[in-house]
Amino acid sequence: MIAERPFTHGAIAVLNLNAQIDALEPQVRLGRATVEVRVGLVELISLRGLIVGRIADYERAEEVAEELLRDAPGHAGALLARARTRAGFHRFHEALSDLDRAERLSSSAPPALDAETANSERAAILQALGRYDEALALREEAVHRRASFENLAALVGLHAERGETDAAERRYAESRSHYRGVSPFPLALLDFQMGRMWMDENRLHDARRSFDAAWRRVPAYAQAQGHLGEVEAQLGDTNSAIASLHPLAASSDDPDYAAQLARILGEVGRDAESRHWRSLAAERYDELLAKHPEAFADHAAEFWLAAGADPDKALKWAQTNVEVRNTPRARGLLAQAVAAQASFVGSRS
Amino acid sequence: MSDHISGPRAIADPVIDITDIYAFPCPENPQDLVLIMNVFPYAGPSALFSDATIYRFRVRPVAIAPAGRTFAVADEEFVFDFTFSGLQPEQEGRCKLPNGDLIEFRVNDESGGRAKGVQVFVGQRSDPFFLDGPMAERTIATRKLAFKDVGSDRLYGKNVLGIVLRIEWATVLKGGPMFAVVGETLAAGKRPVRLERVGRPEIKNITLSAKIFDTVNRDLEIRDIYNEEDAFNLFKHYVGAYRARLNANLAFFDGLDDKVDWPLDQHGNHPLTELLLADFLVLDASKPFCETSYFEIEQAMLEGRAHSTCGGRWLNQDLVDFLLTLYINAGKGPPIRDGVDAPRAWSSKVFPYMAPPNAPEGAAA
Repeated sequence: MIAERPFTHGAIAVLNLNAQIDALEPQVRLGRATVEVRVGLVELISLRGLIVGRIADYERAEEVAEELLRDAPGHAGALLARARTRAGFHRFHEALSDLDRAERLSSSAPPALDAETANSERAAILQALGRYDEALALREEAVHRRASFENLAALVGLHAERGETDAAERRYAESRSHYRGVSPFPLALLDFQMGRMWMDENRLHDARRSFDAAWRRVPAYAQAQGHLGEVEAQLGDTNSAIASLHPLAASSDDPDYAAQLARILGEVGRDAESRHWRSLAAERYDELLAKHPEAFADHAAEFWLAAGADPDKALKWAQTNVEVRNTPRARGLLAQAVAAQASFVGSRS
Repeated sequence: MSDHISGPRAIADPVIDITDIYAFPCPENPQDLVLIMNVFPYAGPSALFSDATIYRFRVRPVAIAPAGRTFAVADEEFVFDFTFSGLQPEQEGRCKLPNGDLIEFRVNDESGGRAKGVQVFVGQRSDPFFLDGPMAERTIATRKLAFKDVGSDRLYGKNVLGIVLRIEWATVLKGGPMFAVVGETLAAGKRPVRLERVGRPEIKNITLSAKIFDTVNRDLEIRDIYNEEDAFNLFKHYVGAYRARLNANLAFFDGLDDKVDWPLDQHGNHPLTELLLADFLVLDASKPFCETSYFEIEQAMLEGRAHSTCGGRWLNQDLVDFLLTLYINAGKGPPIRDGVDAPRAWSSKVFPYMAPPNAPEGAAA
């Protein structure tokens, strides 16, 4: 058991994140911001997108990064910022291309790109692509050089995604012990990664504990609340699950919550409500897939497999997802989609 | 930028990032001292203090050591801890005084809080610091003075969260009339952990952050380690690293006018290094308020004369012009200007001194 010390209340932390963004946005919009300020704004907006689950934030971060690249095409930091936003939309090969260019530029002209930052970004992309061994080598080298909270926490995420629960737990404890700050965000993100791991391992009570910890640290952490709802549903606590998901489905521009809510409501026979949320999710997925097909292929496939009940669409997007990143999770989703489609075809013939 | 964004930890969480510390005799009443701590660079309208952080002033009596070139800091210490709770509709705070008494107040309440001999104000204010940061960075990158006649101030019109403490020093403190002042942020808990500490302006950024001149630790981001230190008791294993960085960077600045105004000693130490390692503001409460007295006590010490001002640091001093001139020509040559001579709003000589917060940029349009 790791002793807990106080962290800034999640609501204060989110207000302060908004305060930072609100102070920088006008500077950027009025064209008065330096490259560094614009890079900082990209990071802040991306973090808010990650925490509150707002796709509009990811889109704004990408917009700022693209404008920045137009104004400062030879700036390594600007390329790194765009690499991050591209990776956020699962355009991993474009992100790697930006990263390669940033490193080449950095070696020939100032400002120099911090090697640890660049390697960390590369490792995150390689991990997302399922190139785990390459990601692991970079992550372990980073920890060897500097066993910081950030470097250890990144290893937690990698081990968690590989299902290496012992290693993930060990690194989780190590990273926690290295954390000196008061911001709740880094620990909430860490707890969330552990929750995903336990969910994949079907250790649902552990998953609930981790998602709950993440959500308690930052009550506005949409993904934590949403996954908490999913786990509660799997544990049979449907009322809690619906209570967790309903506000998110009603307020978020990410259709995942409406999709989950539609599925759970359908499973307990609340069909009219389920149809309402299904319809909203379907409409929103169609919009997002038109704009960001790589980013939403996986969740869209899951939706069409479940509440969306359209195996053809599920298969299409599961195939796209495997093309984007050939990970075990993506292959598993494709296998499910293939099976569902075969079953569907069988039932029609 | 004074102490804004002074290391990776501060960048990651601005609510613990001290931007400046000020200490000056009260312009309204010479019996009082005023201590100010600003945090949260680029604070937008919704910025709040952390409820998990202690915002601390540490004050110790200090004297000029018999050798005359260092300070003798007393062990006795007076601590003022500010903590915060709640967030809606407004934050509440409390200040724990050295005698254990508490002053309660509401953030952004102009009437602040009071106890015998103490007055506090806490809230969002206009950031009083000003400089041309990009040209300071360019000066280091190009190794040539890059400042223009008219500079560009990244902090223009920006706000911070300010903590203003006015104390009747003869009754609230002991000793004096010279005091050393440090501001800190600490992670609260059973054993508070120091996150940031600030004494003098522009130590971590202009003076310490550049790595390229340091032949001992060329790849070390030194500021987070430096921030964790007790200003009155540096960890002996790291002092060498700080000294090497200061010697290297101060020598760089001295060479910018192609003259040596600060000859190094036989060990390669810059004459200012030991003084700057004593990283706290020093002020003399027996002297009257003065607008441009930062570092005068230290300069008098170096010159072997008695100081003539209160020292400390007032809000409106053009600190960067002063520092550039000090570092580059020791005040023996023409003033070196960064081309930024004023903030958006000057501070006043009336409590709580700092100007009200600026409207969000673009709001008027």
